Amino acid sequence: MTAIETLARPAQRIAWQLAQVRGIAAETYRVKSLMLRVANWRGHLPGQHVDIRLTAADGYQAQRSYSIASPPEDEPLALTVERVDGGEVSPYLVDDLRAGDHFELRGPIGGYFVWTVATRGPLWVIAGGSGITPLMAMLRHRARRKLRAPALLLYSSRSLDDVIYREELGAMVRADPDLRVVHTLTREQPEGWVGHRGRIDKALLAEAGFPPGQNPCIYVCGATPFVEDVSRFLVELGHDPLTVKTERFGPSGG
Amino acid sequence: MSGSVQDLVLDGNAAAGLLQEIFVPEITNAEIECEVCGSTARVGALHLYAAEMGVVLRCTCCDGILMRAVHTVHGRWLEMKGTRCLRF
Repeated sequence: MTAIETLARPAQRIAWQLAQVRGIAAETYRVKSLMLRVANWRGHLPGQHVDIRLTAADGYQAQRSYSIASPPEDEPLALTVERVDGGEVSPYLVDDLRAGDHFELRGPIGGYFVWTVATRGPLWVIAGGSGITPLMAMLRHRARRKLRAPALLLYSSRSLDDVIYREELGAMVRADPDLRVVHTLTREQPEGWVGHRGRIDKALLAEAGFPPGQNPCIYVCGATPFVEDVSRFLVELGHDPLTVKTERFGPSGG
Repeated sequence: MSGSVQDLVLDGNAAAGLLQEIFVPEITNAEIECEVCGSTARVGALHLYAAEMGVVLRCTCCDGILMRAVHTVHGRWLEMKGTRCLRF
């Protein structure tokens, strides 16, 4: 039994613990990845998240959930955070946090929005903006395990500069003939852009995606309206709602 | 962001941290049966309405309230009046 299968049935209390920032990587002009050391980390599954809790000097606490971006195989633990302007937590995480700093974290949390190489069928992940994060953990896990089953990332970003993990995704595709990455840029396209433009619609899902007959495992992550639209289109195209797992990023105040 | 009520809907998965303070087995993969319409779903797939103090989880078929959970300074509250059963 591998670590992945063992982790599939956790029954352990999740407790707050301290995470230490080991490094920070800029992903885009408004997104950073935090590399963390968590002393008693018991491993995680791709797609799971953590809760982060910040406490002000006067005792006021703010709590947010962030998806884990790193695969179970990798250390340190990586979270990818987008700055929500005017937010309570994300501007601190993105702009103020420095290597060596600590904050409180608990996890891993959630067993529903999870994919591992033990899951059968093609993997189809659909991301809107920073919704790529938990899906990247799945794609990285798939790459580490060298799984030869078809996979597709359909990724909607505002502009090319907003594409998170752009170079890593390009390298993944070059190294893996079974992986396809399809970008669409909704607001601004560079000169000579030959990729898709505009939001993900039914036509793009039908053209780029796996047909329902191939029984893909589908994971959709992004802002609530994005997830609502995409999941509705998928069901209209004939995909079984039970095969479409969704994770909505709400306006939680960042 | 249009700011409509629909934008506030999340997935049951997002309540995992709060519910996991109460349940020992992993909760988002548990099957939950609606008392009103009898449909079954994974807790992680329910519709979630979240606020700072707690969450309301609703059936995706009939919109019935299945769970309400709040965490206050006076303790944790979990109401499951609309739930027939949970299976882990």
